[in-house]
Amino acid sequence: MRVQKVLAELQDFYVLAVRSLVGIFRKPLYVRETVEQMDYAGAGSFVIVFLVSLFIGMALSLSISTELATMGLKMYTGKIVGIAIIREVGPVAIALSFAGRVGSGMASEIGSMVLGHQVDMLRVFGMDVVKKLVTPRVVSATLMLPLLTVIGDAAALFGGYYISVFVSHQSGSFYWSQLAAVMSFKNLFIGLAKPFLFGYLIAVISCYMGLATRGGARGLREATTAAVVLSTIMILVANFILIRLLFLVLGMDA
Amino acid sequence: MIELENISLAYNNHRVLDGVSFTAQFWERLAILGGSGEGKTTILKIILGLIRPDAGRVVVDGQDITGLSESQLRSVRRKFTIVFQEGALFDSMNVKENVAFCLREQGGYSDEEIDRQVETLLKRVGIERAIDLMPEELSGGMQRRAAIARSLAACEPRMMLYDEPTTGLDPLTAENICGLINDLSSGDPGERKGNIIVTHDVVTASKVADRFLYLKEGRVIFDDDLPALLNTDDPELRKFINSLLLIGKEAYPTGG
Repeated sequence: MRVQKVLAELQDFYVLAVRSLVGIFRKPLYVRETVEQMDYAGAGSFVIVFLVSLFIGMALSLSISTELATMGLKMYTGKIVGIAIIREVGPVAIALSFAGRVGSGMASEIGSMVLGHQVDMLRVFGMDVVKKLVTPRVVSATLMLPLLTVIGDAAALFGGYYISVFVSHQSGSFYWSQLAAVMSFKNLFIGLAKPFLFGYLIAVISCYMGLATRGGARGLREATTAAVVLSTIMILVANFILIRLLFLVLGMDA
Repeated sequence: MIELENISLAYNNHRVLDGVSFTAQFWERLAILGGSGEGKTTILKIILGLIRPDAGRVVVDGQDITGLSESQLRSVRRKFTIVFQEGALFDSMNVKENVAFCLREQGGYSDEEIDRQVETLLKRVGIERAIDLMPEELSGGMQRRAAIARSLAACEPRMMLYDEPTTGLDPLTAENICGLINDLSSGDPGERKGNIIVTHDVVTASKVADRFLYLKEGRVIFDDDLPALLNTDDPELRKFINSLLLIGKEAYPTGG
């Protein structure tokens, strides 16, 4: 019975994940809703992404340069910070903050629409709920998270630069030249392919949890929590799988 | 015609509906009575195909809608409209946008036409002054009026479904809402727009309905007109009616 329920939920989730994408290619296109969601998910997340990334970059630079100094290799800070930020820490940390802010917002907004019968009302009016509510959110998250990742990566690298030069007293131009060396196509591709997938996952999971909300304020709490927790886990799992796949595809041996 | 045949539904092993059957014409004015948690609202949702019953079937105009997909259900839903308990207005939009919602979604109307229609509808339900307010700024009664206006804009429904339309309203506002419901379903039987109203308030029901169903433990245990309801000898039902009529007399000194 329990297994059956889990399987049924997985199936519903899968159907939602596919239908939200199919919605992009069918009229009517809810352009206004999509733009509104982009504003909420993208512009609205700018500050949190900027701050989170900046401080991660600074902390990472500080830790690494201190450690490298003991070996006399301080000048390679830029290289290591660069690889870490662009490939791993940037996309994942930004996706996690995005899940906390935007994912919880999506789940609670749709959840309260479900509880207030607004979703039922849309269905009574003959509207495709997935197209009207889920597709704009999925599109906006999938497009906005990569953009935020670019901004966040830049903020983190600047934070790393600040620490290297002003705290760790290294050469600024050497930091940038080290960084330029790691900005290869492969590294940038890995770092920017991930947020597309993460954004999509966060939006689909959060919308699914929102639509599955039952049972008042407590149900809403559970839906929001589940959206963030599941997004967090899925980001990390997907990150590992994607890295493995991309390394195989790009011919980068471990 | 709407036919419900042996509808059963359980949530998490809790049986909500247990073999509910009844038939109603589109022009009928029907009230479904019962205590809280007796699955009254669930019946409305099942008629609209929003919830699929575990067993039994719903037939609307000869078409079995129980197994239909969401897109197939659209044409069935066009025959009805529903006004939920708290109005279920879209809270990100003001009253005007709420009422205009379906007109905009359907497309093919100019902005002036939409404005005109919205004004006419708001006048019809008596809240034309609230046109620019947000749903949270409206009182309970106004929210329901706005929801009725929005539903009327949707299409020309053949039947209106109301979920607890007067619950939580002051007596005067409740009276007004009853008047509005009656206005909307006025006309000769056979031609008029019918309604199904779900409520635990016998007084409200007696003002807007001619036929009464009483739901208990997921079953219809009474299905008849007002005199029969008032003279019922079922002890359970008697108790329900008496307690409500007593409250009713206090709430409606001149009516009830």
